[in-house]
Amino acid sequence: MAHRTAKSWILRRPTADQPPRVLPTRDLDRGFRADLATGHNAANRSRRSVNELIALARGGEPLITDPDFVLLDCGSRDIKFIRYENSRIADMGWNAECGASMGFTIELLSTYYDLDYATVPVPDRGFSVTCGVLGMSRIFDAVIAGASETEAVSRFVRGIAMNAYRFAGSPETLYLSGGLCDNPLFIGSFPCKVIPLGRFVLLTGLLEIIKQK
Amino acid sequence: MPAKKIGIVGIPPLAVIKKLKDRECNIVDLDEPQIHLGMDVGSLYLPKVYCAILRTVVVNALYLDLDEIYIDVGPGKCDCALHVATILEDILKIPVNRTRNLDSEPFGTPISRTRMPLFEKFMAITRGVMSDSPHPPMEPCRPAAGFWGVPPRDFSILSLFPDTTHVYGWTRCMENKTPADLGLETYVNSAVPTVFFAQSFCAKTALAHHLARLHPHSLYLDCDLAAGNSARAKIEAFLELSGAKRPDGDQV
Repeated sequence: MAHRTAKSWILRRPTADQPPRVLPTRDLDRGFRADLATGHNAANRSRRSVNELIALARGGEPLITDPDFVLLDCGSRDIKFIRYENSRIADMGWNAECGASMGFTIELLSTYYDLDYATVPVPDRGFSVTCGVLGMSRIFDAVIAGASETEAVSRFVRGIAMNAYRFAGSPETLYLSGGLCDNPLFIGSFPCKVIPLGRFVLLTGLLEIIKQK
Repeated sequence: MPAKKIGIVGIPPLAVIKKLKDRECNIVDLDEPQIHLGMDVGSLYLPKVYCAILRTVVVNALYLDLDEIYIDVGPGKCDCALHVATILEDILKIPVNRTRNLDSEPFGTPISRTRMPLFEKFMAITRGVMSDSPHPPMEPCRPAAGFWGVPPRDFSILSLFPDTTHVYGWTRCMENKTPADLGLETYVNSAVPTVFFAQSFCAKTALAHHLARLHPHSLYLDCDLAAGNSARAKIEAFLELSGAKRPDGDQV
């Protein structure tokens, strides 16, 4: 069972004593085919692929007890959300274009500027950015205007978080899925209560789908 | 003398269709892609950021060697068509006849409510525009899902829906031959999970958005020229998560 684009998350079997392994997709054997997968590479690298929105919803169902919730997945390439009302799907969105490359860009910037997001304070305000790629020019402009690289990047991250928050419908409480759950600057940049569920929500969804089968 | 080739845009009044059929004209629906050329060939005359249906109309009109055009510009179509009529009149050397279809005699909506692949339903309804007679009765089915809106520019999304999908909105008005019937256009079944389809830059996107907000189980979907992967994924997920379609793709 596998999920994802640049990094593959491999779960050999659904047991508690065997946690998922994360490895770059390029390190996978060329002939590797997962039994079940979701993500952009899923159709090419698996025997059966599942739509990411369905995997997200099915993953959220056992993890969230609230009958009304918004669950947002911030991936490296795109963002997507599902909203449940009375334990039933009420709305959803998948922004693969204008919200593109948010997670990827945030990771890229930490490497480029040698930043540890755990030590970067949440800024008072963020940039107005619509996507990772277009937002980068704001960082360069801020640095030219005298801001430190750390401050500029933190304002960029806050802008990205605000954009994701609005995309998800500006909820009071937001359940978060994806690798950015491990980024305290990103989490702290949301203007609402954030409950991080970790990066394996979609894998949980795949497990649920297997169970239903 | 060969039959005249007449292009129609929207749904001209029944009297016009009857007249064209009496004259044994060859009627061509300009709302549908008839020419296998890129849409950019019409960008000299229409902005690229514009309704994909009307951009299709212009491309068809430029290359189909038509004798005449009937374009509905009344409340049964849209203001954009009114302006496109002006453009067509200026760039073509054929008569461009504006109509305002206020027909109110209902022809019925058997196709919208029967069990049939949604793609075929839309084909039957859009072909029906060129007919002056109602469709024969068909047995209605219990709806598992609903599709509200105008016929999409990209029909491929229709194959994602179950055969028991009922058609609502302006497409149902098309079948009923009452395109200006706002009451019928706004009719929805609140018990049926419904996709409210909006063709980007169409004035009806506001109505789609409004009705989707009021509907207890809806998905608002905006698509331009072709539906991308995210649009397809949203439809697929909505239908499966709302129980309208089984995970294996089987009908409910």
